[in-house]
Amino acid sequence: MNHLHLQINGNHAVLTFDREGSSANLFDRPALVELSEKLDALFAHPELTGLILRSAKPSIFIAGADLKILSSAQGDDLRDLIELGQATFQKLAELPYVTVAAIHGACVGGGYELALACDWRVASDAPATKIGLPETQLGILPAWGGTTRLPRLIGLPKALPLILGGKILSAGAAKAKGLVDAVVPRENLEAHALTYLDRGKRPAPNHLLSNNALSAGIIAAKARKSLLEKTRGLYPGPAAALEVAAHACHGPLADGFQREKEAILRLADLPQTHQLLRLFFLQERAKKHPLVDAEPRGIGACAVIGAGVMGAGIAYWLSTRGHDVILRDLDDDALARGMESIAKNYDEARKRRVFTPTEAARGIDRIHPSATPVPLDRCDLVIEAAVERLDIKQKVFADLSARTRPDTILATNTSALPIHELAGSITHPERLVGLHFFNPVHRMPLVEVVRAAATSDETLATAIAFVRQLGKMPVVVRDSPGFLVNRILMPYLIEAAKLFEHGGDPKTIDDAMLDFGMPMGPLRLLDEVGLDVAAHVARTLAGAFPDRMAVPDLLLKLVAGGHTGRKGKSGFYTYDGSSTEPNPAALALRTGSQPAPENTAAHLAQAMSQEARLCLDEGVAGTADDIDLAMVLGTGYAPFRGGPMQYELTHPT
Amino acid sequence: MPDLHIIAGIRTPFIRMGTDFDALGADDLGRHACTALLLRTGIDPALIDEVIIGCVAQPADAANVARVIALRSGIPAHVPAVTVHRNCASGMEAITTAHQRMTAGQGELFLVGGAESMSSIPLHYPHAANAKFSTLARAKDIGQKITAVADFRPANFKPRVGLTLGLTDPYSGLIMGDTAEILAREFRITREQQDAFAANSHLKAIAAADRLLEEIAAVDLPGNPVTTDNGIRTDSTPGKLAKLRPIFDRQTGTVTAGNSSQITDGAVALLVGSEKAAARLGIEPLGRLTHYAYAGCDPKRMGLGPVHAIARCGRSPDEADLVEINEAFAAQVLAVLAALRDPGKCSLETPPVEIQEDKLNRRGGAIALGHPVGATGARLVLTALHQLRETGGKTALATLCVGGGQGAALWLERS
Repeated sequence: MNHLHLQINGNHAVLTFDREGSSANLFDRPALVELSEKLDALFAHPELTGLILRSAKPSIFIAGADLKILSSAQGDDLRDLIELGQATFQKLAELPYVTVAAIHGACVGGGYELALACDWRVASDAPATKIGLPETQLGILPAWGGTTRLPRLIGLPKALPLILGGKILSAGAAKAKGLVDAVVPRENLEAHALTYLDRGKRPAPNHLLSNNALSAGIIAAKARKSLLEKTRGLYPGPAAALEVAAHACHGPLADGFQREKEAILRLADLPQTHQLLRLFFLQERAKKHPLVDAEPRGIGACAVIGAGVMGAGIAYWLSTRGHDVILRDLDDDALARGMESIAKNYDEARKRRVFTPTEAARGIDRIHPSATPVPLDRCDLVIEAAVERLDIKQKVFADLSARTRPDTILATNTSALPIHELAGSITHPERLVGLHFFNPVHRMPLVEVVRAAATSDETLATAIAFVRQLGKMPVVVRDSPGFLVNRILMPYLIEAAKLFEHGGDPKTIDDAMLDFGMPMGPLRLLDEVGLDVAAHVARTLAGAFPDRMAVPDLLLKLVAGGHTGRKGKSGFYTYDGSSTEPNPAALALRTGSQPAPENTAAHLAQAMSQEARLCLDEGVAGTADDIDLAMVLGTGYAPFRGGPMQYELTHPT
Repeated sequence: MPDLHIIAGIRTPFIRMGTDFDALGADDLGRHACTALLLRTGIDPALIDEVIIGCVAQPADAANVARVIALRSGIPAHVPAVTVHRNCASGMEAITTAHQRMTAGQGELFLVGGAESMSSIPLHYPHAANAKFSTLARAKDIGQKITAVADFRPANFKPRVGLTLGLTDPYSGLIMGDTAEILAREFRITREQQDAFAANSHLKAIAAADRLLEEIAAVDLPGNPVTTDNGIRTDSTPGKLAKLRPIFDRQTGTVTAGNSSQITDGAVALLVGSEKAAARLGIEPLGRLTHYAYAGCDPKRMGLGPVHAIARCGRSPDEADLVEINEAFAAQVLAVLAALRDPGKCSLETPPVEIQEDKLNRRGGAIALGHPVGATGARLVLTALHQLRETGGKTALATLCVGGGQGAALWLERS
């Protein structure tokens, strides 16, 4: 194969990565061997003043190691691959003349480890340029020298959050953290990279204060503590990376590489790593897999009906992605409240530097609130997010049907109502589809795309493409009560409420699930959702599945007593400022004195797995993988456990 | 010449300076009016040939504010935009400019209007401070900086108030209120007459509250829905108005804050174009512009501008079913009415005419609603056309006095 092109231009050489037969540059064994050979050839040209590394791909510098090979390589194969990468990159580092990485496009994982082995790194300011070391997100660590070199480049305290968090940065942010030396327009990238040839080899960075055995030990102890708080010790990847970085930032390089290698060989065998890699592949697949055989239509202007929490959240997200959004509600008070939450979202995004002030202002400009009925025939898609009452939604859809073009897609954001009951209210019911976003919309990556009986392939394909274009992950589900995620979640929440009702301590129950790896305990989650909302969804589901989803009396009593959860500052817990205590009123409603059982976590997890199995059998979702991915993205189900279907496989009842 | 069809129109609420719209600029206000109009008509903005917006205090941070408004309203980049300025007639200038463009064959459909944020008019440093600031900006080390700072004098920081400057005619040196005092003296208009006129403006606006809503699109600011004009006062009675002190001639004057127009933020957007353009959109137009004229006059008596403009139009106000005379000052409107009765006072030979009270400013005027200077001209046209529909009348006259000594008069007809 021929993935690399070496060109000598007078006094310097240019090495161009252009993987054959692929839109991405990836490192597998042949590519590393080829790079190693090219570097050998370069050693034969000591007269050169420098080497520029670049990519011929339009939006990728080097996307890292080929994870498929990494995940299937075992034992000696993996050891060889790690050693080959480390040795090759070290060869690059030892070239007797200046080396500069001219980075345009994704430069992540092994790609950035290669760049780290260069003297200088210059990046383009294009949005496609993304830089970082995401390995720990997949349960492993940068082991081609990255965990060793980054702390030496920018100091251990700055390097740790980047390696342990696995965050991918824009070029500007990468420059601010010291990951690259300059950020310039793409057109000027290579010319600017050439100016670095005059600077000579990079002088050894001086981080003696932090990168010595004593300081590194103290820094590591502190990082260990905060990592444990965050992950409850469930993620071996970042934990191992922390230990390697703390030792590899000083002493001989070879010692660092050795530690990297030992750590990755150990991590690669762990079941957690397999699950994280599996989810990564599922996500990559879900990003582009054609779920339906039809050509999607483009979506331009949209309308959102209802300016409540969900409506405003959806309108915000659509506007951030460049869509004009008509935001409709019955009165200006509701619209002003919606605009307030949208403005707050933009403000936060601006503060986090997601948007410049100008981008945020133009985003708000794209939202057009109206309490007056207006023509919607310029909208390609309308998303209804009105109150969860079928009669009201039917009225809304009848009105939408009259106000839109016959080909305007009409979507509902209902979380539980049967979508086919709306088909009778509109003409051309083939344009009806469910788009179920999760709250908060700007944070939750999953959207359930609900296919009703009438939904056409073209509508479904368009909805899927639209969700992907929004940067969200679609999962196609059948039009059945609760769809997928809420339905699987509900028996789990109900079981948790029952354990509490029978006398279980709320913190014990919630802690059991936090230790299981859920982002939040079930009772706390009920409070966040709102007990009234949860009871409403439970009632809807109880209609369809009376045996499993009966609403616990306790929940109804709490709602009747005005305990609506977090929003009312009182539910299973009371909320006062930052303190959260079990709610005495809720404790008093318990009917038994049975403590939560030893196997609480397994018991509650099985409630989810059983419902997930039923969903698969009934065809609510297409595959077990779909269900696992949806639960991880939609509820934060412990990713290292792979999802409820994997849990059933690994923990049969 | 073909008539210009006024196809649709809307405005923001008119909001007293420093209140709900305090944080908005003219571009924000203009965007709200224009997007509301596009939203309600549902037209394809790519069909618009040009955007023409009047604005008097053109914001320093949004040069050619019409272009900023157009782009922020989702008008495609290929559609050009121009800001026009004829002081208080800027909103009318936008409409008549569209008529001229259309007549010259330079377009069929225009988005026009006016936008003014009087809350945003800045204070200025005296010119002498400019050089000192630029020396300070160029100072490289701390020594140079200290020297540069030491050069400032307290007088350098005494601001010149942009609003006052804008309301002053530099040629005559008179602020607008002074020109109203001249008319009050020369036409012997008493304080009582002015206050009664002002109180009546509020009463008419209160009575028309529901109908004014037809002209208005709410502005849903984050957490603050702004749905109605906020300058209208139920307590502006002649008795209360009589207690106010004159503000221009403090000793013997009669013009007070209560019998003058209010200082206000707001914007108006109108969709105008040829008969063909209106037909193509399938929207029943509000009406059309049939005649218009601008005329110059003595800057010290700028308030009489309407009398001259009406004369230049060559049509008697008798023919109008409705008349809108902008209420810059009560004294000024009363002077216009007096001069129309006795045109000789303006050295005009037109026949005398009496404008009946029930035809004039039926929904109140700038004394009650406020006077966002660049937007008012367009508001008069919008409200006149709405009133024609309400009353079943056919013809309306909208006229306005212009600082610097001009008048504008537009004749409108309902089809």
